[in-house]
Amino acid sequence: MNAKQIRVVIIDDETLAREIIKSYLKKFENVVLLAECSNGFEGIKQINELKPDLIFLDIQMPKLTGFEMLEILEEPPVIIFTTAFDQYALKAFDVNAMDYLLKPFSEERFGEALSKAIKLISNSPSTKQKLDGLVKAVEKRDEFLDRVVIKHGQKIIIIPTEEIRYIEAQDDYTMLYTEKGNFLKQKTMKYFEENLNSAEFIRIHRSYFVKLSAIKQIELFEKESYRVLLQDGVKLPVSKSGYQNLKEIIK
Amino acid sequence: MSNPFISNKKIRALYFSIWFFISQAQVLLLTYFLNVKLLNAYCDSLVFNFLYMALGLSFWFTVSFNSLENYSTSKVFINHIAAAVITSGLWILIGYYAIINLITGDKVYSDFLLKSLVWRFLIGILFYTVIIAVDYVIIYYNNFQEKLLKEVELKALVKEAELKTLKYQINPHFIFNSLNSISSLTISNPLQAQEMTIKLSSFLRSILSKNEKQKNKLIEEINNAKLYLDIEKVRFAEKFEFVEEIKIECKEMEVPSMILQPILENAIKHGVYESLDKVTIKLSCGMEKEYFRITIENNFDPESIPRKGEGIGLKNIRNRLKLIYNQENLLTVQKDTNLFKVNIFIPVG
Repeated sequence: MNAKQIRVVIIDDETLAREIIKSYLKKFENVVLLAECSNGFEGIKQINELKPDLIFLDIQMPKLTGFEMLEILEEPPVIIFTTAFDQYALKAFDVNAMDYLLKPFSEERFGEALSKAIKLISNSPSTKQKLDGLVKAVEKRDEFLDRVVIKHGQKIIIIPTEEIRYIEAQDDYTMLYTEKGNFLKQKTMKYFEENLNSAEFIRIHRSYFVKLSAIKQIELFEKESYRVLLQDGVKLPVSKSGYQNLKEIIK
Repeated sequence: MSNPFISNKKIRALYFSIWFFISQAQVLLLTYFLNVKLLNAYCDSLVFNFLYMALGLSFWFTVSFNSLENYSTSKVFINHIAAAVITSGLWILIGYYAIINLITGDKVYSDFLLKSLVWRFLIGILFYTVIIAVDYVIIYYNNFQEKLLKEVELKALVKEAELKTLKYQINPHFIFNSLNSISSLTISNPLQAQEMTIKLSSFLRSILSKNEKQKNKLIEEINNAKLYLDIEKVRFAEKFEFVEEIKIECKEMEVPSMILQPILENAIKHGVYESLDKVTIKLSCGMEKEYFRITIENNFDPESIPRKGEGIGLKNIRNRLKLIYNQENLLTVQKDTNLFKVNIFIPVG
């Protein structure tokens, strides 16, 4: 066995929850605990600075949930989720979690998850985690997206979906036009298609989502083609299927 | 409901066999006591009884349309008398003309037949009465069965609703996180782990038993809510503080049970869980005109983005207050830049 050191960060808003992970970790000689974080902001900072191999991540935390944190991490380490909610389990697989531990968890269960993670890290230290055997559940969430987290330079910005006026496709990313400015989000149109409330946001074009309440009027552009005029004067093209979507919502 | 004399196998079989028995009895009566020839007796009996058996099947409809629930008793009574007279009259009329066409040239029998018509009429009324009585018994039996079934259904619905409230009250996220804290404490501080186990148990017990009691003294409500807060305190030791300003005279006031805990839970969920700084939760109360007011306020991080799901707990309480006191707006919410305030008004007197 090569004794590669596994560098770990714990992210959980409850002290006692961090404590138990720490005490379980003591039995593993090769594992070094680099930092403990009590919220998502701190988590991002520490991960970017320390570049750990593995993180234990709670999901429900103040400011930034575990999932939102992962969305803006450029090189996410191997993740073991620790949560009291199993409704998140499916989604945990979606973001390629190594494993997830349902609180409270036993030392054995913890050991299993950690051993699996150590094996993965020591075998392929540099390659991005391609986890086989884990189901990639692309199940649609039953809740609509209510806020979007954006990395804007060094800052992390949380935008409530109400503040988005429209969304524009930009290759594999999307540009969000909000009341506070324009922000690039590293997610595709498909992501928004799946997670936005379709009663609030309408896909009017292959490249555009518009918030219904931001629309001032729909006008005939050339023959048989339409465009929408927003409250702030912006004009956006409407495709044929987009016009169908609009008609359905507005009637 | 369909006619049970046709649709119900058992009742149908019984009905036919009774008519068979009656017709046999009539043959016996006619031949032995009234000296009618056997063939004529059979003919007479079959025609009259078969006819009535057929007529009897239709009585179900007169009963169905004359239910005692929809019409007055006297009206139902008059309807039935009219129906009885008409059916019996029709019966002897058709029976008589059928028989005199079948049996010709027997002077003795036709004399007897003519004389017996009055009796037959009376027997027709009697048949009518008996069949109608049986119909009503069947209807009431069916209604009774239906009522029993409905009651069972209703009970199931109530249970389901109760279960839903329970599930709502016992937030699984809270329970499992508390258990995780206990699990952690067993390693670092077994004594505190024991304490927390007991607190969690008391809290669960208070929720489980609470459903029977509609109202409770404020002080008891506060004590129950404190069980909950104590547990959260173990989880988030440095993150919040609970302050109560309760005058002695308020402590004995009656309030709906389980009314404080959801509001405090709301304050913890949206104040403490979402904030990085310390949150103060303050409970106070006082009289305001004819209302007893309870106020719960907490500061919150104005930068935290409210997550959805806020307000379901408060809405539930508002609905409960409305149901109990039959008044609107007994719960008000005030939201300032960093202060969240919930007022409950309990009508007094």
